[in-house]
Amino acid sequence: MQKLQALIYASLIAAALLGPTVAWPPLPAEAASDRLVIYSGRKEKAIKPVADAFAKQTGITVDLKTGKTSGLANEIRMEKAHPRGDLFISTESGIMEMLVKEGLLEPYQSAATKAVPDDFKSATGAWTGISGRARVILYNKNLVPEKDAPRSVLELADPKWKGKLAIAGTRERTSLAWATTLVAVKGEAFTKEYMARLEANGLKVLTDNTEVWQGVGRGEFAIGLTNSPNYYLAKKMGLPVGVIYPDQEAGGLGTPINPNAAAVIKGAGTPEAARKFIDFLLSPEGQRILVGQDYEIPLIPEADPGEVLPVKSIKRPAVGAQRLAELEEPTLKLLTAINPNW
Amino acid sequence: MAQAGSIALAGRTPEPASGRLAQAGTVALLAGVGLLILPPLLYLASSAVQAGTLGALSIGSLAGLALTTLALAGLATVWAMALALPLAWLVVRTDMPFRNACRWLAVIPLAIPSYIGAMAYITFLGPVGSVNTWLSSLTGSHQQWLNIYGFWGGVFVLGLFTYPYIFLLVSAALEATNPSVEETARSLGESPLGVLRRVTLPMLRPSILAGGLLAFLYALSDFGSLSLLRVQVFTTAIYHQLNTRFDQAAAAMLSFVLVLITLAVLLSQRALMSRRSYVTITGTARVARPLPLGRWRWPAAALAGGILSLSVFIPVGVLLAQTGSLEQFTDVLREQWAFIRNSLALAGAAATLAMIIGFLIAFSAKRAKGPVGAAISGTIQIGYAIPGTVLGLSLILLYNTYLPWLYGTVGTLVLAYLIRFLTQSVQGIDAALAGINPHLEEAARSLAASPATVLRRILAPLVRPTLFAVWTLVFISAMKELDATLLLRPAGFDTLPVRVYIHTVEAEYAKAGALALLLIAFTALPWLVVTRLRGKKLV
Repeated sequence: MQKLQALIYASLIAAALLGPTVAWPPLPAEAASDRLVIYSGRKEKAIKPVADAFAKQTGITVDLKTGKTSGLANEIRMEKAHPRGDLFISTESGIMEMLVKEGLLEPYQSAATKAVPDDFKSATGAWTGISGRARVILYNKNLVPEKDAPRSVLELADPKWKGKLAIAGTRERTSLAWATTLVAVKGEAFTKEYMARLEANGLKVLTDNTEVWQGVGRGEFAIGLTNSPNYYLAKKMGLPVGVIYPDQEAGGLGTPINPNAAAVIKGAGTPEAARKFIDFLLSPEGQRILVGQDYEIPLIPEADPGEVLPVKSIKRPAVGAQRLAELEEPTLKLLTAINPNW
Repeated sequence: MAQAGSIALAGRTPEPASGRLAQAGTVALLAGVGLLILPPLLYLASSAVQAGTLGALSIGSLAGLALTTLALAGLATVWAMALALPLAWLVVRTDMPFRNACRWLAVIPLAIPSYIGAMAYITFLGPVGSVNTWLSSLTGSHQQWLNIYGFWGGVFVLGLFTYPYIFLLVSAALEATNPSVEETARSLGESPLGVLRRVTLPMLRPSILAGGLLAFLYALSDFGSLSLLRVQVFTTAIYHQLNTRFDQAAAAMLSFVLVLITLAVLLSQRALMSRRSYVTITGTARVARPLPLGRWRWPAAALAGGILSLSVFIPVGVLLAQTGSLEQFTDVLREQWAFIRNSLALAGAAATLAMIIGFLIAFSAKRAKGPVGAAISGTIQIGYAIPGTVLGLSLILLYNTYLPWLYGTVGTLVLAYLIRFLTQSVQGIDAALAGINPHLEEAARSLAASPATVLRRILAPLVRPTLFAVWTLVFISAMKELDATLLLRPAGFDTLPVRVYIHTVEAEYAKAGALALLLIAFTALPWLVVTRLRGKKLV
């Protein structure tokens, strides 16, 4: 018994001390010219297949760090002294503009980036849109007959939708971009009044877009404001949802398309690999993989949109990314004054 | 210095060389801990002072936040105690059926990260969750019966997944306390309830307070579950400032206020503890004769079953339903084994280091009575209160700027885990040491036993159950850590919680469910092994 006990102790101690050492996973290689580190706020599902294809084609190892766009942006800011990432992929352009202002991005322009429409890239070449998502009205078909579905976001302030609406808070950058676009197009006073009416209409401000489309899909809410790919995701899961691209009539507001964007991080260890990756993302093969994975809208007019509506068939308000970035802070103030959950 | 003091007291064994060595070791240890924890704290304080303003926040909203946060953490702790104390007592001291199974099941909720628990309960008790849907179909009305969202949902979920902190420490202490004290009280005509109230509970006070403190601090610093349950507290407000407004100054200010609140909580706990002396252990680790429950055996088992249903069976059941099929597990195991290995290696390293350092610190702090000891263990406790996101960002800045060779390696993650969780080890061992009668050591010393012998022959056996408990605690916490890991992991190095997070965000729920279950299983594994061995009296 004593011996067995001693043996067990010895093995427990050995396991505690040596276990982590033996099981220690191989560390990612140090910065080498053939290693590209991507900080990606986009879904892994969308970026990883592109990264794999890129690695296969070029022989460059790709290490992916997937997270929230905003969290990764904060990381890039903190890492300013010794940048660790080479390429940043964000889900929205306002953050890119913020990083531009702080001098954290390295401009890059090429034949490939030239093909992207001007309102989906930085004027100085600091970042480039790689795909887009339109702001849409998602509705539950069991709760709202197709013919009654609202055609304009402005209709949502109508009392008939009271208590039936949901949107993600500004933690989802696309929600903030939507509200900021409204401020840019219709002015602050109009937006303030509109948002106050939505609030009076019981608009539920949720944590993220997933909660919105799933809530609508399950019937917790009749109507949600979210991004176009979520409609396809909900449909794929067999949820009873319909979609409206709002304000498309002649003279209407249009609905914003938010670009997912890519940029080379200033001070990157392997900027050349990062540039190659941007070109690859915009190449027909890169676009096919990227867009095919997650129902995104190709921004290059020539690219094949597959299942989704092509960019040229969606009417969008013409507001530059820089203008949006300027209006972000006042918009945020306006929203949180109405409801702190924004 | 304290070492030297007690050696002089013992008189016979001066051992100047080893004494000086021990002293130097203590100083080095404390300096190391200081260098680990103080920089992020000082960085926070200085950013807060530099900011000097609350940014977009008003004093009123700050007070409101503080009130909600404290009320939530307080109520969650009370709820956790209500769950943990009866369960610990039933399992250790009575002949309740299934008590051995209950004993290790009761710790499983700790292996369920609170954000996963919250997700499971949203599926179960959300506005369109299983229960509401079922009730609606039963009654035909579309009334919303139960709603997990909001303040009370936060209290409910946090209590459910933190009560094992109290359970673990209290049951270990119950085991270590000499049952003869209670037996004497019984034989003197005290009723079982009277023994519980007048003898057992007072003896357990250090453990209850230490466990309650862990639960309370967990609730203060939790972000994941509260953000899912849509409760506005400090951590969610900090996240908002950081990730929506990119206002580092306001975030630092809020974090600093949170740290101050923690400090106040720690000071009041210390005041509570110092009022009385708790030396009760006289050195037998004899197992108490279980109290026969008689006709209360099955009602007691039902109570334990109810607690375990809420905290283990329901969330695990929801995750199983979410996963759907067995192939999901094999697929995930095959695809993601590397990430599982990452998690195990990291958490194992953090737990072992925390156990060793924790023991040494608790041991030195006990000897360095007075302000020094208090300051050290207080500093370590504050590390636990820095929200993961804030800690992650400050470590990025500090390590990347001053220790660039360290940053970007897994070493940073181990250090972050130590900053966050070292206190679990120090507190647990501290509470156990507090119960050991110093006369025992003095007696051994006077019999010419060296400090090393005292440590090995007297202290180690008495705190051994606690050492197992704290290793498990830190391992579990490190396995679950998400907020700081998301930021600090090297590119390409994901852990299990990070994978669960990614798949959840990407709406791949079957995969997320399978990974969450694997996370729970691997997190609980060491606990299972140790309890089995202990059940067989092998360790």
